Amino acid sequence: MNEKHSIVEIWVYLSGSPLFALFITLAAYQIGLTIYRHAKQNPLANPVAIAILIVATSIQLIEMPYSTYFEGAQFIHFLLGSATVSLAIPIYRGLDSLKGRSLPLIAALCTGGLVSIVSAVEIATLLGADSSITGAMYPKSVTAPIAMGIAERIGVSPTLTAIFAVSTGILGAILAPFVLNALGMKAWWQRGFAIGIGAHGIGTSRAFSIHPEAGTYASLAMGMNGVISAIAIPIIYHLFNK
Amino acid sequence: MISGLVQILLFQSIGELVSKLLLPTLPGPVIGLVLLVGWLVLRKGINPELAAVADGFSQYLGLLFVPAAVGVVLFLPQLKANAFAIITALVASVILTIGSSAVVVRFLSKRVSDE
Repeated sequence: MNEKHSIVEIWVYLSGSPLFALFITLAAYQIGLTIYRHAKQNPLANPVAIAILIVATSIQLIEMPYSTYFEGAQFIHFLLGSATVSLAIPIYRGLDSLKGRSLPLIAALCTGGLVSIVSAVEIATLLGADSSITGAMYPKSVTAPIAMGIAERIGVSPTLTAIFAVSTGILGAILAPFVLNALGMKAWWQRGFAIGIGAHGIGTSRAFSIHPEAGTYASLAMGMNGVISAIAIPIIYHLFNK
Repeated sequence: MISGLVQILLFQSIGELVSKLLLPTLPGPVIGLVLLVGWLVLRKGINPELAAVADGFSQYLGLLFVPAAVGVVLFLPQLKANAFAIITALVASVILTIGSSAVVVRFLSKRVSDE
């Protein structure tokens, strides 16, 4: 009896400190990465999706409230802002590739960004989704750290936005080769740029694994899309939701 | 490593300040990003310490949004009720987005090389 009691006490101690939340988040991500490597980097075995699944299932099993988990995991969450700032480096490295191609690239960025918002919001509305869901879809093609910042500014759920952004990245990484082949796209830089606009970080790492030029342009597209969307989406959102 | 982190945090702080005082619609880190790109263009180069930190962040970027995304447990009933609408919208939208971007970039770069 006494022994059992002390185990409970240790458990209470561990789950009260950030240690447990940090451990489970990092361990789940590590498991996700291992599975991803064994699956030969198949986009379906996305390490982020696996980590989310493992952590969400675990905290529900031990009946830990999400707020308790987040209190510990916020130290990881805090780094999102710093990671956003450090996206400056891939953008700077890609600036040279922009020379002579800036007009087609910026036009594609604006078209893709608008198509992404209008199609997702209109289809979801048509099929009966409410405004808390459609609102979170506005920044779904933007890289998740920036998308969540935008979600906070326009007053929709950053969590739903993160889920939609991760799903979009996975779907884009899987579907992009079929879409681009069907359209007869041949140039690697054009293929990469289109993937970066539609499927941000997850699409970009897929593009890098196929061809380095596609990867460079995908990461440039992802960065530029993040900056332009952060400016444009709050304006577009308020136009549509007066 | 530390010096790279200091540079990132410095630009993040400047970004937060500018966001608070001048541009409340833009998230602070995005302003920090833009200022850092500008700074790198002026200096014409990235120092290795900064590159090391930035590459570390971009390699494990996915880890950083796990805590927020686990919040999905709070939205499960709402997501289940709207599952069909959400899945259809996400799949159709990503196909249309990638397709339209690709067509625009190819069409305009043909015209540029014709001229």
